[in-house]
Amino acid sequence: MTLFSLTLVLFLIMDPMGKLKSFLSLIQGYTPARKRKIVLRELGFALIAMLFFNFVGDYLLTLLDIDDPAVYLASGVILFLIAIQILFPKPENGEAKKKNSEPYLVPIAIPMMAGPALLATIMLYAITTSHVLMVSSIFIAWIIVGIIFLLSDKIFNLIGTSGLLACEKLMGMVLVLMAIQRMLQGVLLFYTNASA
Amino acid sequence: MNLWQLALTFFLIANPIGNVPVMIALVKDFSFHDQRRILFREAIFSFLIAVVFLFIGTPFLEALHIENYSLRICGGTILFLISLTMIFPPTESSTGSQMTKEPFIVPIATPIITGGGLLSTIMVYAKQEQNNLKLLAACTLAWIAVTIVMVSSAYLQKILGKRGLIAMEQLMGMMLALLSMEIFVKGATEFMHVLQNIGAR
Repeated sequence: MTLFSLTLVLFLIMDPMGKLKSFLSLIQGYTPARKRKIVLRELGFALIAMLFFNFVGDYLLTLLDIDDPAVYLASGVILFLIAIQILFPKPENGEAKKKNSEPYLVPIAIPMMAGPALLATIMLYAITTSHVLMVSSIFIAWIIVGIIFLLSDKIFNLIGTSGLLACEKLMGMVLVLMAIQRMLQGVLLFYTNASA
Repeated sequence: MNLWQLALTFFLIANPIGNVPVMIALVKDFSFHDQRRILFREAIFSFLIAVVFLFIGTPFLEALHIENYSLRICGGTILFLISLTMIFPPTESSTGSQMTKEPFIVPIATPIITGGGLLSTIMVYAKQEQNNLKLLAACTLAWIAVTIVMVSSAYLQKILGKRGLIAMEQLMGMMLALLSMEIFVKGATEFMHVLQNIGAR
């Protein structure tokens, strides 16, 4: 995996464009300075969670002694299902409930920025890639997502709901492609191992 | 290849005429005016996707290590999922207000019109021809025809009527399932060749 493709995968799974709308409804009503503070804090939490699962994943999967083909197939299937959810979203029953208290850790940092799908994918990718590559791509993807969330209201005003939807669909398509490529790579690895 | 041949090739691979029934079945719940609007928009989107792939398709897919067979298999899988929802429509909940979502980019613009087959064809020609402006002109010509076919396909509803369309949806779902499997099998065949090459080594 190159740095570019790894960063792109992480960015696509975080799906900032798809989450922008519910994010905006969660932080509306606060002053701009307060908003920025909330976003930065939640971004920090998300980064900690991502790095934690990166190291845990490597350790855990080494401990369990799982072969590469299995990791590739599992992460491919998971990625595929995530992408399908992005492409064909389930009709939401009611927007995220707005609580009176300020969002803290839940629901913005987890699961909006770093959801279970992202953390699982990070764990599965961590074992097949070097630490340096993994950590740097996590950082780059995180910075890009952070910028998008910080400029969320400007982006929303600029491209509107249908623009967001278009971005989301195109990203979903790319993610499906990458998921299938990864699954097929798993099959290839399995075949090479089995025939060797 | 001259300009017209290229344009004709793109038009045939995009296959708007063959896809008319499927597209109509997908937008059947909207008013006539909305249908034309949706189909026109999807035509524009499919054109944009094709043009983007014409210029940066090869480097993009290479950077992500995505092979041509993945492109095909991906298109086949998504179309198959869509055909399933056409054959087995999701059971409507008892609430009367039917919230139908407009098809937006997926599935009409891509992968129905601009699918994996078209994208790989475009990339192959982009490598062969070296003259991107000619290809761009060919794309534009092809898409003028595609757009005309797509927008005028909305008139088909007037002939078939609402009942005819509902009856057609499941039939078209079956057709789409077959077509998508055909695309999938093509991709899988390419993949099998790769596997065999590994085995032979």
